Amino acid sequence: MKAKYIFIAALTATAIANTSCEKVSPQGVLMGGTAVEDRVKMSYNYYKVNNFEDKLDYDLKEVENGYSFLVGSDSHITTDDGRIKEMFQIGLDHDDLLMIHLGDIADTKVEYYNVLQNAIAEAKYYYVEKNYELSEKDFKLYRKNQPEAIGRDYDDIKFPFFPVVGNHDITHNGWALWSNIFGSSFYEFDVLVEEYNGNAVYDHFIFLDTASGTLGKTQVDLIEEGVLDGQGVYRNTFVFSHTNIFLPQHMQFSSTFPREEAYFLLKQFDKWNSTIVFCGHVHKWDERIYNMVYFLTLDSMSERNSPEPGDYLVRVNVDKEGSITLDRVHMDYVAPKN
Amino acid sequence: MIKKFFSLFFLASAFTAGWAQNSYIPYKTYDGEHKNEVSGYVMGGNNVVTDGFGGLAASYTRHLTPRWHVGGDAQMQFGKELFSVDVQGGYRLPIKFGNIDFTGKVMYNYYHKFGFHEMSYNISATWESAYVDIRLGETLVHYHSRAWGEGFGYTEPPLLTFGFGANIRHRNNPWNLGLFFRNYDDFYYENWNINWGVRWYAKVKDQWHLFGEFNIRPAGSMSQLASKYEGSVKLGLKYKW
Repeated sequence: MKAKYIFIAALTATAIANTSCEKVSPQGVLMGGTAVEDRVKMSYNYYKVNNFEDKLDYDLKEVENGYSFLVGSDSHITTDDGRIKEMFQIGLDHDDLLMIHLGDIADTKVEYYNVLQNAIAEAKYYYVEKNYELSEKDFKLYRKNQPEAIGRDYDDIKFPFFPVVGNHDITHNGWALWSNIFGSSFYEFDVLVEEYNGNAVYDHFIFLDTASGTLGKTQVDLIEEGVLDGQGVYRNTFVFSHTNIFLPQHMQFSSTFPREEAYFLLKQFDKWNSTIVFCGHVHKWDERIYNMVYFLTLDSMSERNSPEPGDYLVRVNVDKEGSITLDRVHMDYVAPKN
Repeated sequence: MIKKFFSLFFLASAFTAGWAQNSYIPYKTYDGEHKNEVSGYVMGGNNVVTDGFGGLAASYTRHLTPRWHVGGDAQMQFGKELFSVDVQGGYRLPIKFGNIDFTGKVMYNYYHKFGFHEMSYNISATWESAYVDIRLGETLVHYHSRAWGEGFGYTEPPLLTFGFGANIRHRNNPWNLGLFFRNYDDFYYENWNINWGVRWYAKVKDQWHLFGEFNIRPAGSMSQLASKYEGSVKLGLKYKW
């Protein structure tokens, strides 16, 4: 009798340990991995060398009278690139300064990342075509209408698309695929918005790696050391995180931060004097003000999770004075029926 | 001075405290005879945000009748700078296979390190059988920082509270060892971050028991990327009369 129970238990344990599909990794429910530590160390080292700020091509004149950026979340790309292409098109048509994604951009499979990479490459082509002109003098690309623009090679132009990493991006060892495209999951940069008498004022953009549901020790230490605090005088600070802070509804089958970490982050957002904190993860729209910080959790823009057309994107409009208005942006793409 | 502080804390805790939620469930099952239980434990561990931590907790339970009980718990954790106190009461319903314990609990936590006050309200039902125990309940958590005013507090939607434990021996044995999975601990309730670990107890004398736990508390369980967040151990002593 005892042997029977032991056999059943062993069978169940083996089944659980070996079950996996594209979206589920049962081992990951209980095992305490340290992947976030490795990701953050790699990301930080990458970012120290490859500062995105240096590659951001814009002129103060373009932003000092106001600018906008577009945010989307949880596209869960598989073989259909319709929604991510639509996001890029909307951003390019509106001349948004930045496009930002809140994670779970693709489900982890090489072919899905190929779809994503091709969509980004295509969008970059349109971006360069729209905003740059080729100099016949040195065969470099120069930003249009910028007298002091730096000449760049095509590969050196940064398509202004900035994601944070999500849990579905990296289950089944997807970090290699994600980092191959985006490099860093933990970074910050500034957008210069005002300059007078040699003094500069910036808007600050902070990207956290919260894919694992925790920042991890390394990231906590780096945050406490102030590596994301920036150097400038800031007018607005925008923070981007995949994992959300606030639970939009009862029985949400997703993990948010453990208690101490949620309180640590809320305190940190306050310390950063954050204007808006953007989150994804739970596929459920939520907006609230806590501690004088505006929190937005975005719905999924994936054609599978949100098959009907809807307002899945958010555009942040920052005016000359730094005041902010938000627009929910409609997406029309509907996946073809099989 | 330190000795005096600990003595005072332990005494104060014992008088405000109750039933150690985390004490080994078969061990805490009421035997229908004693009226009072006092327990205390020391804990230590490491947390991603706060690094090393340690502390003391104490409980007192009064069995008003063989079915009804009331009590409370208190703890102080260094490192996390966390102070907690709760009161609770319950009704035990004997059934054919064990008992069902219906409990209600109100808990206050002060996370001094982050400046957060937290109130939790839990109701749960725990089925305790000879080898297995299962708990289901609901918890409402409210927290606030800075001030009590609007915009500085948040009440979470009710959280499902669940726990499962299994023992290697019948619960009437003088010592036992078991596994547990749950989304709560003595002084916190989580959402879908699932704790698990090993628990044990051993009878020292008729009225004295030792108990302990090794607790793994990952983050991101439902993100399927469960990550190292906290590990802790507890070692406690319980006296009943």
